[in-house]
Amino acid sequence: MRYFRLLATLLKVNIQMSLAYRADTVVNILLNLMWLGWELLGLSIIFNNTETLGGWGPGELIALLGVFRLVNTMMAALIWPNTEKFNQSVRDGSLDYTLLQPVNSMFLVTFSRITVWRIWDLVLAFILIAVGVAMTGATATAVSILNFVLLTVSGTIVIYSLWIVLIAFTFWFTKFDNNVTILQALLDAGRYPVTVYPVWLRIIVTYLIPIAVATTIPLQALRGELGLGSVVTFIGIGIASFLAASSVWKVGVKRYSGASS
Amino acid sequence: MAHQSPILVTRLSKTYKVPEREGGFGAAVRSFFKRKYKDVKAVQEVSFKIEQGEIVGFLGPNGAGKTTTLKMLSGLLHPTSGGAAVLSFIPWELKPEYLRSMTLVMGQRNRLSWDIPAADSFLLNQAIYRIPDDEYKKTYKELDELLELEPLMKKPVRNLSLGERMKCEIAAGLLHRPKVLFLDEPTIGLDITGQARIREFLLEYNQRTGATILLTSHYMADVTALCERILIIHHGELKYDGGISDLSRRIAPFKLIGVMLADADTHDLSGYGIEVPNEEDLEKRYIQVNAGDVTGVTSRLLADLPIHDITITDPPIESVIEQAFQQ
Repeated sequence: MRYFRLLATLLKVNIQMSLAYRADTVVNILLNLMWLGWELLGLSIIFNNTETLGGWGPGELIALLGVFRLVNTMMAALIWPNTEKFNQSVRDGSLDYTLLQPVNSMFLVTFSRITVWRIWDLVLAFILIAVGVAMTGATATAVSILNFVLLTVSGTIVIYSLWIVLIAFTFWFTKFDNNVTILQALLDAGRYPVTVYPVWLRIIVTYLIPIAVATTIPLQALRGELGLGSVVTFIGIGIASFLAASSVWKVGVKRYSGASS
Repeated sequence: MAHQSPILVTRLSKTYKVPEREGGFGAAVRSFFKRKYKDVKAVQEVSFKIEQGEIVGFLGPNGAGKTTTLKMLSGLLHPTSGGAAVLSFIPWELKPEYLRSMTLVMGQRNRLSWDIPAADSFLLNQAIYRIPDDEYKKTYKELDELLELEPLMKKPVRNLSLGERMKCEIAAGLLHRPKVLFLDEPTIGLDITGQARIREFLLEYNQRTGATILLTSHYMADVTALCERILIIHHGELKYDGGISDLSRRIAPFKLIGVMLADADTHDLSGYGIEVPNEEDLEKRYIQVNAGDVTGVTSRLLADLPIHDITITDPPIESVIEQAFQQ
């Protein structure tokens, strides 16, 4: 409850901040629409030459694009701006203040910047998913929708945890500005369904680097392709990765010794 | 609970492991594979305690270990050995109840976000520290009375002057009414009036709230105006802990004899003591003598030289402290 209030205050502050940069907001929304057009164009070129991609048809891929966009929104609305702020605060030492506040420092580092206009992206993502699912003609059951929601949440948490681990590395190597670039490179692999890749790479992408968990797998659940066992396993992976990331963060904070003596 | 000093430090030590590397490409490659470390003893076996309501000045040259000590006491750093209790908490356990009852203000670090007005950062702090609305309003009103914050609150922090920003920074650190304040160079970079205003504020705040304050500063005026007691740290070791007025007696038992002479420049004073320059009083020439020799030297001076005026004073605190650093 207390953290919801804090989140509300952070959101309020961030809305005020983005209202100050109006032109920036408009341009960004336009740019974003352009990117969507570009991605859809890419898909249409692929499907002009082939019927399916790794067994997935056009509708399924549009839905996949929607889930991908959902994850991407998290990246753009939270992860990028907060990484930038975090790296900056390590360099100028203001992270000291963050660590001395009587709230979970991981929470503060996650939510202190929110790119508010990206919420528009969320709407777009849900539209894509709905349209994609409708195109496949697949009828979603209540269970598959629930699984889809749960697995999207758990997949998002996996990516979030990966991010926490990446920025926590900064506590060991004070200069680690590449952290977002690495994550983005990993995430890009999730844009196309995992089955396109050879087996060994698929294993890496699905298990070792659990990005696919956040994009392909929720969609498989929506299509009713996943059994209960898999659903439980993937939710477990989400919980485990969050716990692992929090402990890496805690160890990192302990390790942190400030920018000067 | 029995009476306990709010700040209690026992044999606190911190040793940093610092990678050591010689210059040059070869050394850089070698150190990539095998890194050598050097132990830097930043703080060694420091012990002291501070009573409730005290304002204590923490002095020492750059790199003496002041900031490291403050960081350990606020909880940012784990000590290598030794212990500390602040308000009966072990600082580096970072318990939320501890963090809510202390503050660390660093003159060279920004707590406030640059892009948003201070008012918004204050509201964020209210949420973070869970300050009830009525209490927040009361504290804010008090801080506003002392620091004249209101005109600064609506502007983005980046548009404030350094002095204005520092006022907001300090106020932001005090919204939760901490009982213990660690201030690291709270007046750094400010002009004379700015410094004086922060000083007055701290004194007033201390009297109103009974807060315990440990502060470092490079400006002696801060220390002489605020602190009756000082700690001097050098090379990580505590060199002095006591009253500021006792310092000269213990560290530098000297007196300054100032003499106004006829034909001031022609006389040689080297036989009486060490002559020291004094820029504030160019009419007199000053010599430094051991406190015990003052009477003897004075009568010799009066007998030997054409003296118009003579004064005997304590050396300025700045030079005493400097002398303490050099020991």
